[in-house]
Amino acid sequence: MTRTRLDPAEIAVLGHGLHSIAVEMGTALRRTAFSPNIKERRDFSSAIFSAAGDLIAMGDDMPVHLGSMPMSVRSVLDSMRLAEGDIALLNDPYRGGTHLPDITMVAPVVLHGKSEPAFYVANRAHHADVGGMHPGSMGLCHEICQEGIRIPPVKLTQGGSIDRQILDILLANVRTPREREGDLTAQLGACRVGVERVVGLTERLGRVRMMSGIDAMLDGSERLMKSLLAEMPSGTWSAEDFLDNDGVGLKQVAIRVRISIDAANQKAVVDFTGSDSQVPSSLNAVFAVTWAAVFYVFRCLLPHGSITTAGLMRPIHVIAPAGTIVNAVAPAAVAGGNVETSQRIVDTVLKALAPAIPAVIPAASAGTMNNLTIGGIDPRSSLPFTYYETIAGGMGASPQRAGASGHHAHMTNSLNTPVEALEYAYPFRMIRYSLRDNSGGSGQHRGGDGLVREIELLSDADVTMLADRRSLAPWGLIGAEAGVCGESAMIAHGKAETLPGKFTRRFAAGTRLRVASPGGGGWGKVTKSTDPSSNK
Amino acid sequence: MSKRLVIAIDTGGTFTDCVYRIGGRVNVLKVPSTPIDPGRAILHAIEKIAHQTPARAMDVRHGTTVATNAVLERKGARVAFVTTDGFEDTLAIGRQARPDLYNWNIHRPDPLVPRERSFGTRERVSTDGSVIQPLGPDVLNELLERINAVKPESIAVSLLFSFANPRHERTIEKALRKLKIPVSLSHVLLPEFREYERASTVVLNAYVAPRMSAYISGLEKALSQRHAELSVMQSSGGILSAGTAAREPVRTILSGPAGGVIGARAVGIQAGIRNIITFDMGGTSTDVALVDTQAEPEVTIEGEMAGFPVRVPMLDIHTAGAGGGSLAWIDRAGTLQVGPQSAGASPGPACYGSGDGATVTDANLVLGRMHADHFLGGAMRLAPERARVALESVRPGRSAFATIEKFAEGIIRVANARMESALRRVSVERGHIPQSFTLLAFGGAGPVHACALASLLGVKRVLIPASPGALSALGILDADMSREFSRTVMTTPEDTRIKKHFADLELEALEVFAREGRKASVRRYADLRYAGQGFEIRVPWGARVVSEFHRMHRRVYGYEDPSRQVEVVTLRVRAVSPTRLTRASLSAKSGSNASGALLGPHRIFEEGRWRAGSLFERSALKPGNRFSGPALVVELTATTYVPTGWDVLVDSFNNMMLTQVSGRRSRSTNHREAHP
Repeated sequence: MTRTRLDPAEIAVLGHGLHSIAVEMGTALRRTAFSPNIKERRDFSSAIFSAAGDLIAMGDDMPVHLGSMPMSVRSVLDSMRLAEGDIALLNDPYRGGTHLPDITMVAPVVLHGKSEPAFYVANRAHHADVGGMHPGSMGLCHEICQEGIRIPPVKLTQGGSIDRQILDILLANVRTPREREGDLTAQLGACRVGVERVVGLTERLGRVRMMSGIDAMLDGSERLMKSLLAEMPSGTWSAEDFLDNDGVGLKQVAIRVRISIDAANQKAVVDFTGSDSQVPSSLNAVFAVTWAAVFYVFRCLLPHGSITTAGLMRPIHVIAPAGTIVNAVAPAAVAGGNVETSQRIVDTVLKALAPAIPAVIPAASAGTMNNLTIGGIDPRSSLPFTYYETIAGGMGASPQRAGASGHHAHMTNSLNTPVEALEYAYPFRMIRYSLRDNSGGSGQHRGGDGLVREIELLSDADVTMLADRRSLAPWGLIGAEAGVCGESAMIAHGKAETLPGKFTRRFAAGTRLRVASPGGGGWGKVTKSTDPSSNK
Repeated sequence: MSKRLVIAIDTGGTFTDCVYRIGGRVNVLKVPSTPIDPGRAILHAIEKIAHQTPARAMDVRHGTTVATNAVLERKGARVAFVTTDGFEDTLAIGRQARPDLYNWNIHRPDPLVPRERSFGTRERVSTDGSVIQPLGPDVLNELLERINAVKPESIAVSLLFSFANPRHERTIEKALRKLKIPVSLSHVLLPEFREYERASTVVLNAYVAPRMSAYISGLEKALSQRHAELSVMQSSGGILSAGTAAREPVRTILSGPAGGVIGARAVGIQAGIRNIITFDMGGTSTDVALVDTQAEPEVTIEGEMAGFPVRVPMLDIHTAGAGGGSLAWIDRAGTLQVGPQSAGASPGPACYGSGDGATVTDANLVLGRMHADHFLGGAMRLAPERARVALESVRPGRSAFATIEKFAEGIIRVANARMESALRRVSVERGHIPQSFTLLAFGGAGPVHACALASLLGVKRVLIPASPGALSALGILDADMSREFSRTVMTTPEDTRIKKHFADLELEALEVFAREGRKASVRRYADLRYAGQGFEIRVPWGARVVSEFHRMHRRVYGYEDPSRQVEVVTLRVRAVSPTRLTRASLSAKSGSNASGALLGPHRIFEEGRWRAGSLFERSALKPGNRFSGPALVVELTATTYVPTGWDVLVDSFNNMMLTQVSGRRSRSTNHREAHP
């Protein structure tokens, strides 16, 4: 194909066009989805890929999804050929997924008069239940088969029509089939919107120019990351951080990283060799998650508004030995690797980089998503329900300012479920939703405070909690204090009982669950001249 | 009733625009704004008008930014916030998501009410309205004491599920009356679910209420000496009585761009055009909206102000963060970016004389798409040399852009791409095909960019209204008196109680209008969704409401599912007391020869080279005149750039209708010439 050179204005026009398509796919998904987790909390992501499977645009969604989705697309491309009207579906963490509830769809964009796809659009949404031994599919398991239905890349639609047999297998394996079907339909619709828009954009810009522009965007991203690395000090920095435990045993689980920056050659190696072996519970991260966490940290170092494409990661090499907590192999269970271990990987990478670029790196944030899953039968309808949400905590303070309170940090950015939406949808009553005072670490800049969320169950229910930073607090930097650890408790018959960070239990109607999320670490030593009240 | 003179007054940052009709003729008066006391400029204008048309009673319709500015400048009242016990931090927590994904220094604006003035009260109502925890007298007394202790100037009350049962809010309101300060109640202002968004709206109302009611009563008093009655423009594009505006000022907070859309609608009706996309490009941002002149204006409740959600009806206007003052820069990947930073009004574009940044306006001047000697009617001379220097300071190496003009074209292309996304969002993304629309451009910079954007969208016609700078005031003049009344019901379409709810809402609506001495017509709407979805589609209520919902769902989202249960979330009654549109008199047609308005030749840079074009004076153009691009049309409040391939016809209402004649499409504007 002939290539033409595009000027910087044309590249910007193309970048805007692709980004707004990714955003529009997300909007379509959110507005038509059925589960509160997608429609209210926006636990989904959308992206666009080149014919070669390189990420060329993504929405402003969930970092853990966005960083890992390229591997899903790669896995689809390796296993099947997609034609016009086909949409592939998968959730297998060992085939480019993250954990089973994240279902990804990939659709080809076939231009008029061509047979091979010119692009792919993809979206990923966290489904509130995909079967398995615990309602909500987020509980502690020993192997992946217990966690829910596992789907390798399959064609959910062929030539535009849904393969009812595949859908039926899927729906037969989940607790809330009608809601799942609605959410899957919403995902299909979003794919179609994406395909239509990419075709339109290509027609407007011209195919040849579009292809040249995409090469230029990828190269531009690479240059951008290289210019960042060129400004960093050369050297090697190591750090380790830990998960409290794996939820089965009480032993801490170590993540270790060695980061080498070569400013002269504008390269970086992020090596997780030395991290602990994979564990017999759900805290294992697959490689896609680890890669996504590294991608996230380096993306944050770039200027605001930079066009994000696969080119950014060309100068960065990620090493994670197979069989470890950061690159688990089948049949390890992985539900919590995506949501908990991913946050700890970010913490570890930040900790390693802190001495290298101390003017930029923030203290540890809450470091857990406080995943709460509740399933049972809704007495109002006699139908099963599964509820999933994550509870934000305090953000770590940065060299520039105090950490934000009650905000999701790093690998997630889902919203809360409004109390009034929650009570309409589930047999719960919310008792309290407040900031957790003084939970942020003090320092020259304070860490953000965590949250307290207290829910009363109005029916018997299975409750799963997957949370960390219950015994090892989010660390502060430059002499500041750590944030306060998270806590969970149940209150029944007027008595409170402390709960561990990770558990699955059945509770009777009337039981109250109280989750207090960790605060963020502080930044900078408090000197006498620093007035603690003025550092907000 | 004797014939009253209706005057629309729109307060802007620099000018206060007044528009009124005498004998069907539109008169425009511009007076300098008086930002510290906006009323002064208004009274000044009224004096002037009264001088010309003595002894007539007047209706003054006012577009004001008093409430908006109070929020933007954070100069509102000291508010106390009352909510259900356990949820005092609702405002501080918001939705727990961060506004920027890849930033470790995020900062949300501090809530308008700090923690120490947020009060929880022990009470609880359930989803179905039943009382779970009654509000006891002790609790109430204690609450009063705590509120009193913080000496608030205004109070916001938003209890959980107050829309399902307002009893507790009413009890609290009764008890608070003795404090003699404004009380904003959630079940009155916004009886709809989602507690954070509702509380945010009620708090915004309480925050601006004292200032707004003082402003309005002061203005009313001064106007009454002139026998003038005051009413106020609201965000929904309807006019509100002064009394309601003083009590519920949050309804005016997003009214800034509403006048323009209503004005565009009136122009479209007059010109016989059905489908319009409005394009209002100002200094820092661009507002776009879709208008079907045969239907009521589309409203939404998903507004936002200074980072706080505002859930009152507003015209469905989409804003892009690019305007004439947006700054161009090269990012580290070597990509040309425009905005979001803006040179704003101060220092302004480099060519205004004080700033150094390269803006979109500077690029237009370099390209000859604006004229140095004909800006603001020649009142301010632009400095092309300063524009060139500013652009040169940003321009990357010559390999990317061979000349300064090509770089300027690049800036325009990037700015246009940002506005194009906004235009697509209101059209294509909502299932409309833009090709059948007319782009109606106004605002200072809109007519400069209109044709390029039309090309990008495949739109064939562009309309520049007679006075593009006063369109907003014109819209206020022509807007209907209207208000919306709503209630969240969360039920099925078959629920027989819906009838009763609608009847209640209508009664309330008619009573409110009757108290103001007006008759109103009411229309019923319902927000519907598939049971379990989180977003609703507004559908006119009627026998076919469900099938209409399926149809609209397909149009907007590409599919429908008749097997799914449909849920009625919120009922809405819109009450309208229409404003009679006086038809403007048709101006006499002259011939097609536009040479009477020709100021001379003018060079315009387009598609990589300079072309010889013409310069016209708008006020000298007559109905029936025709001419072709490339051309520049200058007038007091705007400049219109007519590219090559576009023809202009002046219609009987002095609008300029621009039509694309050659087959060129977006490609020509996006493509680089091979070589100059």
